[in-house]
Parts: sequence; C-alpha cells; structure tokens
Amino acid sequence: MSTPDAGLLVALVGNPNTGKSTLFNALTGLRQRVGNYPGVTVARKSGTCDLGDGQKVELVDLPGLYSLAAASPDEQVVIDALSGNIAGDRRPDAVVLVVDSTNLLRNLFLASQVAELGRPVVIVLNQADVAKEQGLRIDTELLSRRLGGVPVVLSSAWKGEGILDVRRAIARAIAQQTQMKRVTWPTNIAAALADVATVAAADTGKPISEAEAQRLLFDTNPSTADRLGWTLAQREKTLRTARDRVRNSGYNPMAAEPLVHYAHLRLILEGVVTEGAGKAGRSAAVDRLLLHRFLGPVLFLGIMLGFFGSVFWLAKFPMEWIQAGVDWTKTIVAPPLDAYPMLQSLLADGIIGGVGAFLVFLPQILILFLFIGILEDSGYMARAAFIMDRLFSWCGLNGKSFVPLLSGFACAIPSLLSTRTIEDPKARLATAFVVPFMSCSARFPVYALMCAAFIGPTYGAGWQSVVMIGMHCVGLLFAVPTAFVLTRLVLKVKPQPFVLELPRYQMPKPRDVIWRMWQNAAEFVSKAGTVIFAITIIVWALSYFPRDASVAERIKAANPSATEEVVKSKLQAAYVEQSYMGRFGKAVQPIFDPLGFDWKITVGVLASFPAREVIVSTLGVTYSVGEGAEADSQHLRQAMQDAKWSEGPRAGTPIFSLAAVLALMVFFALCSQCGPTIATLAQETGGWKWAAGSFVYMTALAWLAGTAVYQVVIRLT
Amino acid sequence: MNFEAVIVGAIIGVAAGWLIRRWLAAARRRKEGGCAGDCGCATKLKK
Repeated sequence: MSTPDAGLLVALVGNPNTGKSTLFNALTGLRQRVGNYPGVTVARKSGTCDLGDGQKVELVDLPGLYSLAAASPDEQVVIDALSGNIAGDRRPDAVVLVVDSTNLLRNLFLASQVAELGRPVVIVLNQADVAKEQGLRIDTELLSRRLGGVPVVLSSAWKGEGILDVRRAIARAIAQQTQMKRVTWPTNIAAALADVATVAAADTGKPISEAEAQRLLFDTNPSTADRLGWTLAQREKTLRTARDRVRNSGYNPMAAEPLVHYAHLRLILEGVVTEGAGKAGRSAAVDRLLLHRFLGPVLFLGIMLGFFGSVFWLAKFPMEWIQAGVDWTKTIVAPPLDAYPMLQSLLADGIIGGVGAFLVFLPQILILFLFIGILEDSGYMARAAFIMDRLFSWCGLNGKSFVPLLSGFACAIPSLLSTRTIEDPKARLATAFVVPFMSCSARFPVYALMCAAFIGPTYGAGWQSVVMIGMHCVGLLFAVPTAFVLTRLVLKVKPQPFVLELPRYQMPKPRDVIWRMWQNAAEFVSKAGTVIFAITIIVWALSYFPRDASVAERIKAANPSATEEVVKSKLQAAYVEQSYMGRFGKAVQPIFDPLGFDWKITVGVLASFPAREVIVSTLGVTYSVGEGAEADSQHLRQAMQDAKWSEGPRAGTPIFSLAAVLALMVFFALCSQCGPTIATLAQETGGWKWAAGSFVYMTALAWLAGTAVYQVVIRLT
Repeated sequence: MNFEAVIVGAIIGVAAGWLIRRWLAAARRRKEGGCAGDCGCATKLKK
C-alpha cells in the first residue's frame, strides 16, 4: 500500500445519506484501513487518495451527522477529529464537505458550522445526476464566490462522475488554504460568545477557540466543557448570563445557532439554484406503494420470503461443493493414519468434521450479506424500519429503539452499543434488554441446518423459507410483550417522537455490496479457523476419551454372531456413550427431555452457551465420531436424519422428529446463548443485575417455549 | 507414553490454552472498560 506524502490528512464530512462513503470508496479504491477511534467504539475508516498530480493524502471518512452539536459518540468523534483533539490523530489539513445536491440549504448548515473551525474546505455537491433529473441547475461558480472562493465541485460518486474534479479540488484547497466564508453573529450573540471564551480560558488556563465557545454556549450537552475541564460550578453562572444575553437580543439560546446559520445560507444560496422541468418524486411514487398502510407490510413480508428462499436456493450447489471438498480432504488425510486411530479420529472426525460442518454454511452467509447489502444500499432498509416502527411504538419502546433492534438481526453486540444513541436512560435499558431477542446471524446456521435436513426434504422448499422467517419472528414475538411489560409496568418509559430520514431509492453499487459481503465472509472464515477450530478439538477430546478396552470385549461377547461391520458400529456408539461428553450429556439430558432432545443434542446445546453456532460443529463431531473415521461420505445431515432413539418409550423412532426440530429451533431463537452479549449487556447497563436477569429470563423462556412446541407438535403429528 | 498420545495431547493442550488465554484477555479488556465483543478489537469504551 502506498503511503501519503508529507503526512497530509483530509477529512470527509457530511450528512447521512449523501453518498459520502461511496465517494470515499471512489477516491481511495479498496486501499482502505479500518480501525477504531481511541476511547469510543466508532470506526475510523481511512485510505490513501491520489490527488491526480502524483500527490497522495490520507483521507479519513468521518461518521455522517447533521450538525456539530455533540449528542452521540459519533458526533463527538467528528468534532474532536476536526479540531485535532483525538490522541494520535492529526488535525485535518483540509475538510471535504459532501453535500446532497438536491437539498443544499439543509446540508450546508453543517458546512457552515464546520467553517467556524477555520480549516480549508472543499464543497462536493454529490448526487448531481439526481439533481439534474429533478430539473435543478446549480451555479457552482456563483456558489464558490459567495462561499469565499472555496472549490465547489459537482459529482455523482455512485456513477463515478466528477471524481477527478474532487481530487483536483482537494489539491487546490490544500495549496491555497481557502477557508469558507463564516457566519456574522448578531452583536449580542458575538458578545456572549466572547464572554464565554474569556471566562472559560481564564478558568481552564487553555486558549478557547471561537468554535469551542460556540459549542459551550449553544450545546446542552456538556461534552465540550468536560473535555476542556471547565467544571459545572465554574461554567454555570457564565453560561446562564451569556444565554440570558442571547435571549434579550430576541433569540432562543437553544435555537439561535441554526437560525443565524440558515439566514446566512439563504443569502448565499439566492439565485444559485434554479428549478426547471424534471422528473421529481419517483421515490415518492414508489413509497406510496411500499409504505402503504396495508400493502406495505404485505410487500415487506413478500420481500423477506423471497429473500430467505433465495438464500437456500442459490446456496445449494456451492454448499454441496464445499461438502464434497470436506469429504475429499477426509479421504486424503485419514488413510495414511490407519496405524494411528486416535490421531486419525482427531483430524478426520474432530477438526475436518467439525470445522467442515461450520464452513459448509459460508455460501448462505455470503448470500445473506449480499441481500442485506442490496436492501441497505437501495434505500429499502430504512423503509423496513419505518414499517416496523409502528409495531415497536405500540409496545412502548422509544422510536429510536428501532435501529438497534434492526441491527440486532446481524449481531447483538454492536446493536447493544448503538442503544447509546437513545437519550432516555429507561428507554435505553428496555431496548438493551430486548435486543438479544432479535435473531442474530449466529442463529442462522442452526436454522439453516435444521431446515435443510428436515423441513426442506419433507415439506418442500417453500416451507423451508416460511420456517426460516418464522424463526426470525419468534424472538420478535416475545420481544414485543417483554418490552411492553418493561416499558409500561416496570420502568414506566415516556414515549418520545422518532424522526427517520428516508433516503432516495438508488441502484446499489456492486463493488460496495461485494466489498461488505467479502468482509463478513472473511470474519466467518476467520471464526472457523480460530474459535470453532479450537472448540471442536476440545469437543472431540471430550467425546473420544476415556476409551476402555473392556468395552470392545463386552460388545463382542454380547454379539457373537454379528458381522464385523455391525460390531464396529456398536463399538463406536458405545465408546461415545461412555466418553466424558456422553456421560455428562446423559446426566443432564433429563432436563432437556421434555423438549425431545437426546444426550447428543443436549451436549450441543450446552456447548453453545459461549457462542450459538458452536452447536453445528459439536453435532458434526459427536455424530461423526459415532460413525467412525471411515464414514467419509456420511454428511452431518444424513447422520442426523438416520439417528434414532436407542432406549426408552421412544426407542426406534427418529430423534429429529418435526417436533424436536421445531423445539430445537425455537429454543435457539429465544435462549441467551452468547457470552459476549451477556458481558456487553452488563457493561452497558452498569452492572450484572440486568444481564443476569436477561440470561435467566431468556433461558427459562426458551425452555418453556421449546417444551410447549415439542409437546404440542408431537401430539399433532 | 507413545508418540500418538504425545501429538494428540499437545494439540488438545494448545487448543485449550489458546481458548483460556483468549477468554482471560476478554475478561481483562472488560475490566478495563474495553469492548466485550468477540471481534478481537482492543477498543476502550467511554463510560
């Protein structure tokens, strides 16, 4: 990777949904580095940008935001990054402000605030193609002059248009150090700002910039004061007096900043944009259908059905190829180790069998994230949020709860962290408590295995998709009443309004979608090669040892006329049963008997408490060990389909009956089986009380629901 | 002790040791106010 010249740093800033990340990708290509800002879980994405004349700079993509008033960790990071207050990071040498061409006034508000930081600026009017389609004509030269001569460039990042102009404009801004024209504050507000700056500088012993004085005066959030070390006792009187001064000049102190900026921007934009005849409102026409009160949810359900159906259908052949690869590897590895049966079993049954059983789901994971990427980038995901918001507002959750709950379908940990955007602590707590109910992607391999092995072959591919959606809804079904009781009866949360911006529909950019799909696949494969790999070795050891030689003699004595194959099969089964895992599973199995789980499933369930997906590799090991190392072509699915109860009232009947399969999936949909999620919940709720409560509640609920499903279905089938 | 048992024992020992080390590191990260996730990042969270 090439390194930037002279250590120049350029920051990319803009409102959400302006195509900022697409522009970042276009400017940096795939030469990107992803890390974290110190102190917060906000991603720092940077890359090397060639300015077109051989000069290279480091370009950093800051989180999207609407204003510099720091209400969330993301916004605080942007302010700190632009002010050079992040440890180990430099102050940017220039700022590229990405603006939606179709909404200049609102987008330039952030630009006007950034101008106060006194950095060279480039204004990129992105989505210029859409503005043109809507009949908008923007006089960029006039706008540039009015903004003090800063470069103003038209671009359409997702079409790759205007990218070279952006590169040249950055080079010009750095060379000429052109700053954007700043707002002129009314006399009383300017005096109030000067007072705040003087007193804060005296109290803290640090120089206070004009931008910092504005944050101190206008923000209710004390983050800037805290960072400067200006204590509440020191600042209280000064800020009250300064805000009274603003109020006396006819402005509400909390609204003065946007009012003055917008007045300034209206003058700048006069005559800059001219409206002609265009095809406005195509998104609005589509939304009339997709967000229709009754049709919207029906179409949403249809899209989801097609989505999950395609995941199975498209992944079928790649999964078979991977399975064939796993089998082939076994046939290569196992025979040379015939003289070492223990080592042979560890490699073939344990490592290759266990990790292979997990890796087989890679195509489904790839397709899942491909579709999620398409739904997100097309703008439909925000519509899904809008449709589902009705459900959540009914159960008393804050409207802002929806985004963490939606991202909980991918992984509970980042969604628990994203509950921090909810200002009301009670609503935040209630949301965090129900986030683990959302069916995260770690549950997906469990559903996929059960659906592919039992639902699909017996009831057809259609039912496979229905059950898959059903399992994703089970968590939701319990989350809603749980949230209702928590918000209305326990925590008594006050409802708050929720504003959601619906982005314009657009064609997803294949490179961006594939890049994200690739990142998720790499994480999945890395997990298979590390955690799953290590756990399968332990599970294998526990299901292989101890091996008592007397077992073989006993089996042979009990079956004198049996063929060698039958004796071998009975011997393998006996070995697994008397292993540590077998003994433990059998001891605990009575607890899970009402759910129809045998001791092997019980072992899988217990091994999955640190991470759900471990059950797939655990079943891969326990069923593979039982079949012996020679059973190279025996797939996990086939082994499970063939498994039968060996004793008790169910002897001879399949272990994986429809009732047991559904009970297992419902159990996994509801059970709290992820160590890192519980730890994060404890961290975010400030103690173990709520985390322990969530674990006990979800596990008990999973057991009860699984039992109910098994007992009802077994009587009906 | 035979060669096979030594190899298998070493593999199991390394796997168990690696898992324990990973869990201890995650616990230490949490204690220091870091990310409790399984992402392997060393990010500290703002309290």
